[in-house]
Amino acid sequence: MHRAARTASVATALATAFAVTACGSSAGGEVAADKKQTLTVWAMGAEGEKLVDVAKEYEKANPNITVKVTPVGWDVAHQKLVAAAAAGKMPDVAQMGGSYMGEFAELGVLEPVDTKTFDEKDFFPAGWQQGEVEGEAYGVPWYVDTRVLYYRTDLAKKAGITKAPADWKGLRAMASALQDKADSKWGIYMQPRGLDTVQSFYPFLYSAGGEIVDKDGTPVIDSPAAVKAFKEYGDYVKQGLSMKSSQPGYDPLKDFNTGDVPMFFSGPWISTLIKDQYPDLKGKWAVAPVPADKTSTSMAGGSSLVVSKDSSHKAAAKEFIKYLTDAKGQTDWFERTSDLPANTEAWKTGELADSPSLQVFKKQMETAKSSPTLANWTEVTSKVDAAVESVTQGKASPEDAAKKAKSEIESLVK
Amino acid sequence: MSTTSTKTEKVARAAGVRAATGSAGPGRGRKQGSKRGSMGVQNFAGWLFSTPFLVLFTVFMAFPIVATLLMSFTDFGLRNVTHPLEANFIGFENYTKLFSDEKFLKALFNTAYFVVIGVPLTILLGLVVAVLLNNGIDRARTFFRVGFYAPVVTSIVAVAVVWRFVLDPSDGLIAGLFSEVGLTAPDFLGDEKLAMPSLIAMAVWRNLGTVMVLFIAGLQAIPTEVREAAKLDGAGMWQEFRAITVPLLRPTLLYATVITTIGYLNVFEEPFVMTQGGPSDSTLTVSLDMYREGFNFFHMGYASAMAYVLFVVIMGITVLQLRLLKDNTK
Repeated sequence: MHRAARTASVATALATAFAVTACGSSAGGEVAADKKQTLTVWAMGAEGEKLVDVAKEYEKANPNITVKVTPVGWDVAHQKLVAAAAAGKMPDVAQMGGSYMGEFAELGVLEPVDTKTFDEKDFFPAGWQQGEVEGEAYGVPWYVDTRVLYYRTDLAKKAGITKAPADWKGLRAMASALQDKADSKWGIYMQPRGLDTVQSFYPFLYSAGGEIVDKDGTPVIDSPAAVKAFKEYGDYVKQGLSMKSSQPGYDPLKDFNTGDVPMFFSGPWISTLIKDQYPDLKGKWAVAPVPADKTSTSMAGGSSLVVSKDSSHKAAAKEFIKYLTDAKGQTDWFERTSDLPANTEAWKTGELADSPSLQVFKKQMETAKSSPTLANWTEVTSKVDAAVESVTQGKASPEDAAKKAKSEIESLVK
Repeated sequence: MSTTSTKTEKVARAAGVRAATGSAGPGRGRKQGSKRGSMGVQNFAGWLFSTPFLVLFTVFMAFPIVATLLMSFTDFGLRNVTHPLEANFIGFENYTKLFSDEKFLKALFNTAYFVVIGVPLTILLGLVVAVLLNNGIDRARTFFRVGFYAPVVTSIVAVAVVWRFVLDPSDGLIAGLFSEVGLTAPDFLGDEKLAMPSLIAMAVWRNLGTVMVLFIAGLQAIPTEVREAAKLDGAGMWQEFRAITVPLLRPTLLYATVITTIGYLNVFEEPFVMTQGGPSDSTLTVSLDMYREGFNFFHMGYASAMAYVLFVVIMGITVLQLRLLKDNTK
C-alpha cells in the first residue's frame, strides 16, 4: 500500500537522465590494445556468471588486460542498460539481445562493427541479422537459439506414432492422437495469450511464409499467409488441443514431465533443463524441426556483443570479442553453457557435429528468421500478441484480427 | 433504551473532545522569537538540520515532479533518453490523446472498479478483525494479530506464488475443493469477469493487516472509562460498538480510508505479477498502463501525462473524502 510515490517513478529515471547526460560526454583519447587497461563487460543472467571464468582465462593469456565482468539479471538488464545509455556510462562491452538492438542503435550509443575483423560469412545469417540495424552491423553474434518441437517419444509410441510430424497436418493429427490414445490432457502447448505470445506464434507465421513487416518496412501481418497462420494457431485452442488460458510465466516443463502436455515449442536451453530437472525422462523425449507448411521456418533468437561508442578501449574490446566469437572460443563457450555457437565453424567438430538433437537445432538455425531490429519493436509485437489472443479466445476471426493488427502497426512504423 | 444511548454518546463525545484538546496542548505554550539576538544562529541551525531533508526532497521529489510535468507537454520518446533537449513541445496533445485512448479509458474504469469494491471491503474486514482481536480470544491474540499482519510484510512475489496455487484452475487449492464435490473450478485469472475480483480478493487479503493495525491502535486509544460508563448504562455489545467505538474511531477510519483509496488507485503489483493486465486488458490498471507506455514503449511524454491525470484523480478523491468523512458532529 505504500506506493504514494509511484506517480513520480517515471520521472525519477528520467531526472537522472537529464542530470547526467550533460556531463556524460565521451572520454577523449583511445587506448591501444596492447596497453595496460581494464575492460568493463556486462552480461546477463547465467551467461554473466560463466563469463567471469572465461575472462580469467583471457587475462592469463593477455596479462595487460583486466576484464571486469558484471553479471546483470535479465529482469533488470533492459532498464540498467537504458539508464547507462542515458547517463553516458555504458560498459565497454555489453551482451545485447536481438530485441534490444534497434533501440540502442536509435539511442546512438553503439559502435559499428569492424567488418574487416568480423566476417558475416562466419556466422548463421539470422544470427548476424540480429546485430544489424538499417544495414549497419552493431553487434557480433555471440550465441544463437531457435525454437524447435519438443515431444514425448514414449507417449507418441503409445499413440501409434513413430515419426515426428513433418507438416501442419501431421502435427494436428499427432496432437489429437496423443490426447485420445495416450491419455494426455492436452495435445500440445502453445501460448494462448498474454505478453510475448508472438514468440510462440512465429514458427507458424514464418512457416506459412508470413511476416509482421516486410523488408521495406511495410506491415504485412494481414497477408493470406499470415491469416492462415492465425487460423491454424487458433484452431488448436478451438479444438481443445491446446489450453485456452495459461498464467504469465507458465512453464510447460512440469506438465511435459507428467505427460499432460506432451509437445511444445521451445529453445535449446530446455534440453539442459530437462536433463537437470527430470533425469527420469531420459530416452523418452526428442526434438524435431518445426512442422512445415510452405517451409519449416522457425524464429531466431540469441545474443550479440556490442561495443559502446563512448568506450576508450575499443581496440581491446575488439580483441576480447574476437576471442569469444571465433570457432575455438565458441566451442569452449558451448561446453560451459550449452549455448549454441553463432559461429558455424564451431559446429564442425565434437558433440556439436555428432549429436542428432543438436543437429536439429543447427538445421533449423540455418533457415531461421530473425525479427527486424526496429526501435519500437516491442510495441509492434504487442499488437501481434493482442491479435493472437483475440483469435484464440474466439473474439475475432483470423481475418479481422490480422486487419486490426495491421492498421495498428501501420501507425507505428510509418 | 433511547436514553441510554444518548447518554453514552454524550460521554463519548466528551472523551473525544478531551482527547483532542489534550493532543493540541504541548504546542501551545511555546512563544516564538523571544530574544532577537539568537535569531540568526537559530535560523542557521534550523537550515543546517533541515538541509539533508531539503536536498533529498529537491533531488528525489520536487525535481522529478516538475520534470514529469514538463515532460507531459512534450513528445519525449526513446531517442530523447540520450538527447532530452531535442524533445518537442506539443502542448496538451498528450492529454487530449489520453481521453480518446480506449486502452487508457479501460484502465481508468478497471482502476475505479478496483477501488469501489476493494476499499469498502478492506476497511470493513479490517475493522471487524480489529474489533474481534481487541476483545475476545485473550490467549491467541498475538498469534492472530501476527497472522493477519504477515501478508503486509511478505514480498509480492511470494504472495503471488501462494495465490497462484490457490487460484490455479487445474491443480490449485480451490480447484481441489471443487473437484471434491464433483465440480470444475472456474479459471479465476483466465476469465475476464473473474480476473479482477480475484485480484481484489488478493489485495484485500494483503492490505487487511495495515488497516487492522491502525484500527487496533485506534481502539486502544478509546478510554476504558467510556466503555465502562456505557456498560453501567446497560449498553450491549452492538450498542457499545455503534455509539462508542465507531464515533471515536472516526479519525482512524478517515485515515485508513484515505490511504487505502490512494493505494488502490495506484494498484500495480497485483496485476503486474498475476495477470500482466490480461485477459484482454480486463485487469489493466492505470499504473500498469503507465509503466508499459513509459518503460516498454518509451512514450515518456505520454506516460507523464498519465501520471498527472492519475495525480489529479487521486487529489480530487482525497479532498472529497476528507470533506465527506470529516467529523461533522462538532
